[in-house]
Amino acid sequence: MSETVLNAEVVVLGGGPGGYSAAFRAADLGKQVVLVEREPVLGGVCLNVGCIPSKALLHTAHIIHEAEELAQHGVSFAKPDLDVDKIRAWKQSVTKTLNDGLAGLAKQRKVTVVQGTGQFISANAVAVQTEAGTIQVNFEQAVIAAGSQPTKIPVFPNDDPRLWDSTDALALKEIPQKLLIVGGGIIGLEMATVYHAFGSEISVVELMEQIIPGCDKDLITPLFRRIKKQYKNIWLETRVTAIEAQSEGLKVSFDGKGAPESELFDAVLVAVGRRPNGKLVGAELAGVNVNEQGFIPVDKQQRTNVPHIFAIGDIVGNPMLAHKAVHEGKVAAEVAAGHKAGFDALTIPSVAYTDPEIAWMGLTENQAKQQGAEYDKAVFPWAASGRSLSMGRKEGITKILCDKETGRILGAGMVGPNAGELIAEAVLALEMGADAEDISLTIHPHPTLSETFGFAAEMITGTITDLYIKK
Amino acid sequence: MTVLIEIKVPDVGNVPEIDVVEVLIQAGDIIALEQTVATLETDKASMDLPSSVAGTVQQVYIKPGDKVSEGTLIATVLAGAEQGGVATEEAVPSVAAPVQSSAKAPAVEQAAPPPAIAAPEPVTASGAAGTAHASPSVRLFARELGVDISKVKSGSGRKGRILKEDVKNFVKKAMTEGVSSSGAGIPSIPVVDFSVFGDTETQKLSKIKRLTGQNLSRVWLNLPMVTYHDEADITDMEAFRNALNAEKSKDDIKITGLMFIIKALVAGMQQFPSFNSSLSGDGESLILKKYFNIGIAVDTPNGLVVPVLRDVNTKSINQLAAELAGKSEKARQGKLMPDDMQGGCITLSSLGGIGGTAFTPIVNAPEVAILGVTRAKMQPVWNGKDFVPRLMLPLDLTYDHRVIDGAEGARFMAVIKQQLSDIRRLLL
Repeated sequence: MSETVLNAEVVVLGGGPGGYSAAFRAADLGKQVVLVEREPVLGGVCLNVGCIPSKALLHTAHIIHEAEELAQHGVSFAKPDLDVDKIRAWKQSVTKTLNDGLAGLAKQRKVTVVQGTGQFISANAVAVQTEAGTIQVNFEQAVIAAGSQPTKIPVFPNDDPRLWDSTDALALKEIPQKLLIVGGGIIGLEMATVYHAFGSEISVVELMEQIIPGCDKDLITPLFRRIKKQYKNIWLETRVTAIEAQSEGLKVSFDGKGAPESELFDAVLVAVGRRPNGKLVGAELAGVNVNEQGFIPVDKQQRTNVPHIFAIGDIVGNPMLAHKAVHEGKVAAEVAAGHKAGFDALTIPSVAYTDPEIAWMGLTENQAKQQGAEYDKAVFPWAASGRSLSMGRKEGITKILCDKETGRILGAGMVGPNAGELIAEAVLALEMGADAEDISLTIHPHPTLSETFGFAAEMITGTITDLYIKK
Repeated sequence: MTVLIEIKVPDVGNVPEIDVVEVLIQAGDIIALEQTVATLETDKASMDLPSSVAGTVQQVYIKPGDKVSEGTLIATVLAGAEQGGVATEEAVPSVAAPVQSSAKAPAVEQAAPPPAIAAPEPVTASGAAGTAHASPSVRLFARELGVDISKVKSGSGRKGRILKEDVKNFVKKAMTEGVSSSGAGIPSIPVVDFSVFGDTETQKLSKIKRLTGQNLSRVWLNLPMVTYHDEADITDMEAFRNALNAEKSKDDIKITGLMFIIKALVAGMQQFPSFNSSLSGDGESLILKKYFNIGIAVDTPNGLVVPVLRDVNTKSINQLAAELAGKSEKARQGKLMPDDMQGGCITLSSLGGIGGTAFTPIVNAPEVAILGVTRAKMQPVWNGKDFVPRLMLPLDLTYDHRVIDGAEGARFMAVIKQQLSDIRRLLL
């Protein structure tokens, strides 16, 4: 095997959203950058086996549902004819467009992309195992952006092709007749939405007492009510005790209220979370601390305990979200270039792209209660929104929490179609230190779903006219 | 396998800024545990910083003249390594060594500072209520200028929002205040070219002396001070003290007269609480302290420092003697921590070992009084019938006249005198 040596001012380990953002930003700040990516394309989990392909499939699912529901409004379509190969090809064309775009962006910036698995061999060098042999990259500064992977449960028959993780589910190999989703979090429920639309009979099993644990219950309820009707079963507070591979299917045993002792499924998607890849990058040879769970602790400037090595994204902690990684990646690049940057965002918004969508940011009501925060709360029902009703939907709500004394926004949550788009305004309001009055005095276009955020603020300031609230 | 360990500035008490005076290590040096790596100096003390680890210095991050604070990275050290090489590539084996081998240096790992960085916390829960009312761009601007945005109190934007201009003005204000602190509006002493009259040599004042000078000028300008002189009869006290010390073995810490004066001060402060107080910032109220901490002025080669003995009312004379001996020694070696010098209520300044008959000490504001002591002298004292030889101790009490009036000062002094003349009263 040949050995090549590259020298970089900044090496970035991992070409996901955080990694390529760090690499591009560092290059734009004049650094000579080498970006190491295991896969042949840039974009990481998010672009290739996460956010983007799932959204492509969810969009398709959404249209299928809408077409079906239009029957109530007097427009009936025939039952859709699904060409799975074509759906898959379309999804792949979306990711490919973005892959090509990223490759172009790297080229324009003269970022050297090395395809292979990189590991530290010292505090100043990374060895990359490529198809052509080992490439040693000597660096002055490094950014670890090696991400995370789906958590596997060791006792499950993980080699059975019918036992999926999120990557398998997004590969769209087949549409199983009976699909069990283990884990009622965001990823599990998004895939449930897709496969339900494509015709699978869905069951969901969740260990906690609610789906999407951590989210406020009032935001979950409209989704829960809807999917409870659509899906075959949703078992809460239920544990999967065993999965047994049988020729006719996977036999899953349960322990929990309302769940059967066991049931047979054609496929099982395990979506119980993700674990960081901290232990896979040879961090110890660079002297970088990795904790028990595989996270790499960093300070506000994304520095690890070794000052010239940074870490960003999933590998430094929860929440494991692309938009968090991107911001951290830019901070790391700027600090590496000598800027006095720091990660001081007040919140990282969360979105579940289910139907209805759920989005929240800032303090959740659960957290506000735990912290004993003094807050005012307003919940605007979308049943009073003309726009929502004209879309044939009335289950949504927009909730806003404001500081009792200053009126400043502490948190917000929304459930309903497009909630994921609507939350951005709340995030901006929080970052700008807006109070309920600022929001209610901002003119929201009519008729839009965004109005519901303004209405919720008006409920706090007591100026709302679209509802009657008895004093 | 080697372990890379960071040496950081330790917790030295509540001090935001520490000057680096000297750096005694460089990359490639092999250093021992406890070896001095740098000399740091704060407003009040200089200290030698010992290494928390033995090994080879990989990189040094500070240089003389830098300002550092708790947690600042000083150097990275390859712990336990015996190679002298600087380059990391050489120091760290390029093939994966079994992890267990790091256990070879357990002693070193124990001595290492605790991990610098806490485990990551979820950021989402932060909430905006406690943070400054400023948008992200303004927060970044403040970060670039090194401004703690929470210190920028009021913004000029809508609803008090902090704008970039407010951050700029905050910096401007901080800069001008820093410059004018040497006495605004006071005519300065004209500069004279002394070399005209003969040879001169310019010697830089130690930092302690410079800062003490600034503080004394500030006090001199701000406080209307009165000094009141008197003498206490310490004949019996000294007889008792000498007898006590005679009982002690050679290695025991001897009791000095200061210990009795400290106790007498407590008695005085208990009877006259205004002596244990400070004026509030606006000068409209008095903050009375319920604790009794006494600062002792100590002469050191670098200048005057004032270590503080805490809660002296609860401690025995033997305890106080031991504590003062320890702190004086630390002071002379320049090892006093800022914490050792904070929280005083009243100061005691003794020139007794040198001589003199009286002096006018300057109050260590925001304290309100200071007691000066000079050398005791055997004097003929009229007892109504005869002159008898008595050992008389000169006392000089300076107080802030805004807080203490003349009669109260005299009464306080009377109590001190009474306690020292008849130390049985200290028991009461």
